[in-house]
Amino acid sequence: MDYLYDGTFEGMLTCIHLHYYKERATGIFNADAYQMNLLGNFFIVDTDEDKAAVVYNAVEEKIGHYTLRNAYKVFLSSVEDKEMRILRYLVKGFKVGPKINLMHGDDVVIGVTEIVQRINKEVERMIQFVRFSELEGGILYSRIEPDHDVLELLAGHFTDRYKNERIVIHDVTRMKALFAHGGKWYVVDMDEDIMISFAKEEKEYRELWRNYFDSIAIKERINPSCQRNFVPMRYRKHLVEFGSEM
Amino acid sequence: MSASMETIMDKLKVLAESAKYDVSCSTSGVQRKNNGDSDAIGSSAVAGICHTWSADGRCVSLLKVLFTNKCEYNCEYCVNRRDNDVPRASFEPEELARLTIEFYRRNYIEGLFISSAVERSPDYTAERILRAIQILRREYKFNGYIHAKIIPGTSPEILSDIGMEADRLSVNIEMPDSESLRLFAPQKKPKQIFNPMRQITNTLIERGSLNGPGRMFKGENINKASNMLGAGAITHTGDVNMPIRKHRDGKSFAPAGQTTQMIIGAGGESDAGILTTSENLYRTFKMKRVYYSAYVPVISSPVLPDISNAPPLKREHRIYQADWLLRFYGFTVSELFESQTENLDPDMDPKVAWAIRNLDRFPIEINRASYEELMRIPGIGDVSARRILRARKVGSVGFEEMKKMGVVMKRAKYFVLCRGRYYGDRDFLPETIRAAILGMESGLQTSMFDSNWKLLEEGAAQEKLSESGVI
Repeated sequence: MDYLYDGTFEGMLTCIHLHYYKERATGIFNADAYQMNLLGNFFIVDTDEDKAAVVYNAVEEKIGHYTLRNAYKVFLSSVEDKEMRILRYLVKGFKVGPKINLMHGDDVVIGVTEIVQRINKEVERMIQFVRFSELEGGILYSRIEPDHDVLELLAGHFTDRYKNERIVIHDVTRMKALFAHGGKWYVVDMDEDIMISFAKEEKEYRELWRNYFDSIAIKERINPSCQRNFVPMRYRKHLVEFGSEM
Repeated sequence: MSASMETIMDKLKVLAESAKYDVSCSTSGVQRKNNGDSDAIGSSAVAGICHTWSADGRCVSLLKVLFTNKCEYNCEYCVNRRDNDVPRASFEPEELARLTIEFYRRNYIEGLFISSAVERSPDYTAERILRAIQILRREYKFNGYIHAKIIPGTSPEILSDIGMEADRLSVNIEMPDSESLRLFAPQKKPKQIFNPMRQITNTLIERGSLNGPGRMFKGENINKASNMLGAGAITHTGDVNMPIRKHRDGKSFAPAGQTTQMIIGAGGESDAGILTTSENLYRTFKMKRVYYSAYVPVISSPVLPDISNAPPLKREHRIYQADWLLRFYGFTVSELFESQTENLDPDMDPKVAWAIRNLDRFPIEINRASYEELMRIPGIGDVSARRILRARKVGSVGFEEMKKMGVVMKRAKYFVLCRGRYYGDRDFLPETIRAAILGMESGLQTSMFDSNWKLLEEGAAQEKLSESGVI
C-alpha cells in the first residue's frame, strides 16, 4: 500500500502508525508530488495527531531523542525518497533499540546519516552565508534560498546571537520567514516579493565590506576553484561580497 | 558616500592590506551563548565559523586589521618596518569599534582580530587598542569574538586589562630561535616576548582556566601552582599539586587561551629546530597553538633570502602536519626525527613516515587496538578511532565497515589487520609500502591547494584552510 500524506511531519508519522497497525507501507509520498500508479494501491491519509503522537513518543522512549532528531532532519530535506528512508530507519530502531546509533556501517543507518550530514552542512553554510541588511527602522533583513528546508534549524543560533536586534530571515524559495527578537522566534508565511527600504548607511557598509573583502586576497595566490568549493556559486546570489545588491 | 565614511574606507584599505599576511583567523575554542542582558549582541561557536572565503581561498572569519601601521621598529622581514615607504594610517578607537559592530550585525564576521605596529610606544598603542575593545564590549555590548595581539613590551597592567576583554591573546614569537630574532628583529628582545607569554599562562592558571594544546594534557590537571612560570609566580607553601581555586568574579580572562606565530624559512633553522621550539612552547606555556607562516618576501633586505626565492609552502604544510601530531596524536618531536635527520620527509605525511620507520609495531589488529594505538595508524584520525571503538561494542569491525567509518583505507590497509586478515597488497616491507603509498599520492599532490581543500571538505571541519598551513 502506498500512503499519501499532507506534507506535515505529523502526517508522515501517521503513515508510520498505519504501516504497523493497518497495512505495510510500500511507499510514503507527499500527496502533491505523487505520480498516480494505476496498478498499485494507494491510500490518502488523514493526519491524525494522536497516532502521530504515539509514534513520536515511542521513538523518543524506545530508541532515543537523537534518532528522533535525525528522522526530523531527514524530513526537512528535499530528498525524494526521504519518507521511506525514515521508515526503514525507525523500523530498524524499534527492532534494535538505542544501539542503532552505534551501527555506523549499516546501510539503513547510513541512508539516514548521509542526509543528516547534508542538512547539517547546509545549516552550517547558512550560518556562514546569511547576510543581513539594515532596513529603515533598524530591522535586519536577509534573503536565503537553501536546498533544504532548514529555516527553523537556524533559529537557535540567530535568535541567541541577535537577541538585541529584530531580525528577519526570508526563505524566498519556500515563501516563509523566521522572525526573531529578544530570544524568541517564530516562522510565518511570507511572499517572495515584499516592499523594503534600506537604512541610510546600509549601502556604505556594504561598500566597506566589499572593499575589505577584495583587499585581503593575496594576489599571488588567487585560486578560484578553491574558493568555489567553499562558497559554491548557488550561494553567491545573496552574498554582498560577490556583488549581491539584494 | 559621506566624508567620515570615506576616511574609514581609506584607513581600512591601508590597515587591512598590512594585516592580511597574518596567519591565524580561527575563531575556535570558546563556546559562549548570548547570556547577557537582552540588549547584548553576539555569541561564539566552539568550532569557529567562516563567513566567506577570499579569492585566494582563505577563510574569512574575523575583521583582521592593524590598529595602526605607523611603526617605530624596523624589523627586517616586516612590510611596515619604519624605513619602508608605504601609506600609513591609524584608527581611532571609536571608528574601529563602530566598524566591527556594523559588520557583525550584518553577519559578515565573527569578531575582531586586532594586531598592530608600534606607534610612539608599545603602551601608547596598547592603550588605544584597549580603548577600542572596551567600547565594543561595554557600549555596544558586543559578546562576539576578539583576538588581540600583544605588542612585546606592553606593561603587565594594560595586558591584564586587555585579557579581561579579549577571548584570545597572542604574542608573536616571530622567529624559531633567538639568533634569528637578534638578526631580523633587533628591537624585539626575547625577554619582552616571553614576559607577556608567561603572564598570560600564569593568569590562566590562577583563574583555573588553562586548557593546554589539543589533547596533550588530556585528563591531567594543569591548573596547579607548580605549573606557574618563573618570576611573579605564586609561591605556594602547601602541597604544590593542590588545585588552585577558580576566581568567581564572573569575568573570564582570555577564555580561548594563548597562541603565537613564527615565521619560517627566513633564517636557516631546521624542521627539528622549529618543532622543538613549538614543543617547548606547548609544554612550558601550554599555549593552544603555534602558527607557522612561510616567510613571504614582501620586501628585500640584505639579511633575508632573495625576494624571488620563496621557501616552499610544502615545508610549511609538513610542519603543520607534524605540529598536529604533537598536539592531538601523542607524538613527541624526538619520535618524529628518530633517525638523526633534521628535516621532515617532504614527500610523505610525517605520520606515514613514522609508521614505516616503526614497522615492527604493525600490523595492528583493529578489533583489539586501544584508542592510542588506533591514533597511530596512518589513515585513522580521532573521529574514525572513536567510531571504531563504539562499533566494536556491537560487533567486530571488518575492512568494509572501516571504509564506511571514514578510515582512509588506501593508506591504513598497509598497517592493520581486520579480523586477523591483512589487506595490504604487497610485501610487508618498509620500501614496498613506501613506494606504494608514494605512487598513490603523487597523483593527489599535483596542487597543494586542491589536495588541501579536498582533505578539509572530507573531514577536518575545525582545520580550516588558513590554519592547515596552506597560507
